[in-house]
Amino acid sequence: MRGRPALWRIARWLLLAAGVLPAGGSTGTAGQTLTATLSPVGALSTPGTATLSTSSNTFQPFTATVPVSYQIRTTPVGSGTITLQVTSDFTPSGGPAASSGALTYVCSGANLGTACSGTQTASTTSQTPVLAVPASACTGDGGVCSSQNPNSMNVTFTLTDSPVYPTGTYSASVTFTISAM
Amino acid sequence: MTQKKTTLITVCALLAMAGMAQAQNTGTTTLSVTVGPEAALTVNTSTTTLTTSSTTFGNPFTGNTSLTYMIRTTKTTGTGTLSLKITADFAGTGGPSVATPPSTGDALTYTCTVSAPGTACTGSQTASTTASTGLGTWGGGASSAKAGNSASVAWSLTDDPVYAQGTYTATATFTISAT
Repeated sequence: MRGRPALWRIARWLLLAAGVLPAGGSTGTAGQTLTATLSPVGALSTPGTATLSTSSNTFQPFTATVPVSYQIRTTPVGSGTITLQVTSDFTPSGGPAASSGALTYVCSGANLGTACSGTQTASTTSQTPVLAVPASACTGDGGVCSSQNPNSMNVTFTLTDSPVYPTGTYSASVTFTISAM
Repeated sequence: MTQKKTTLITVCALLAMAGMAQAQNTGTTTLSVTVGPEAALTVNTSTTTLTTSSTTFGNPFTGNTSLTYMIRTTKTTGTGTLSLKITADFAGTGGPSVATPPSTGDALTYTCTVSAPGTACTGSQTASTTASTGLGTWGGGASSAKAGNSASVAWSLTDDPVYAQGTYTATATFTISAT
């Protein structure tokens, strides 16, 4: 019988330590401020390979549509962009060359931001516009953000076809860059 | 004062956010294109009028058709051909005919001019309504200029007294191909 009060004291201290029982019989509350700093972010995804093709054999241009998926968040005073640059021109040499202005593109279907307008000429030396995203924009599931996640758009490339290109298969690398601030 | 303070805090917050580092990410796509043999042809002279300077049957009716070709043949093993065929014979009774000339020796013939890298047909060719006849050829790895190269056909139609007076029209169809 003597052991029971001792056991109860030990159990009570354990319960107090675990916060199950109020100390001294009173109720306490504690507040904690959770702060999340949301920085501007941009991410994008493009297919590894896109094949330019033509349905004609009479020197009509080759075309390929490249889907671009992107997620972005811009600050209230920031903005975002997607640009592209031909980081490796068509090889082997002797065929088409982006450096000579043979590769152009148009942008379409952006569900967040404004796609580039008109026909752009892809460059090997500078980044050219694909998308402009305004301030306070975000990819999301509605509300203040876009209703799509990820966002998407298309870039349709056109490569001129010239008789002077020798027959063969040619490849070039295009790097898309998304920036947010 | 309170309002000023609030505004100041807001501006500071915005400036702090503006000073945040720019986020950047990239993705790379390889554009691949296979360039194959191709050929295209433009007939610059849609209607070629055959005329003669003679009124004594001494000279045939002649005229020239101008062409512009574009061609690319496969390296080494490719070939190209340019040919023509009379797909609609001279219409009208009693006039010239490619398929059934009224007199022996009557014919629609032509000579060819094809600029490099093509090779023109040699000598005089007789046009046919049943078979394509040659105009030019190309070898492997041939490429025309970007804007195309020139070719032409010099036509000659026998002036036979048996042809009834009138105007007669035929259609020649040109075909260019590349492998």
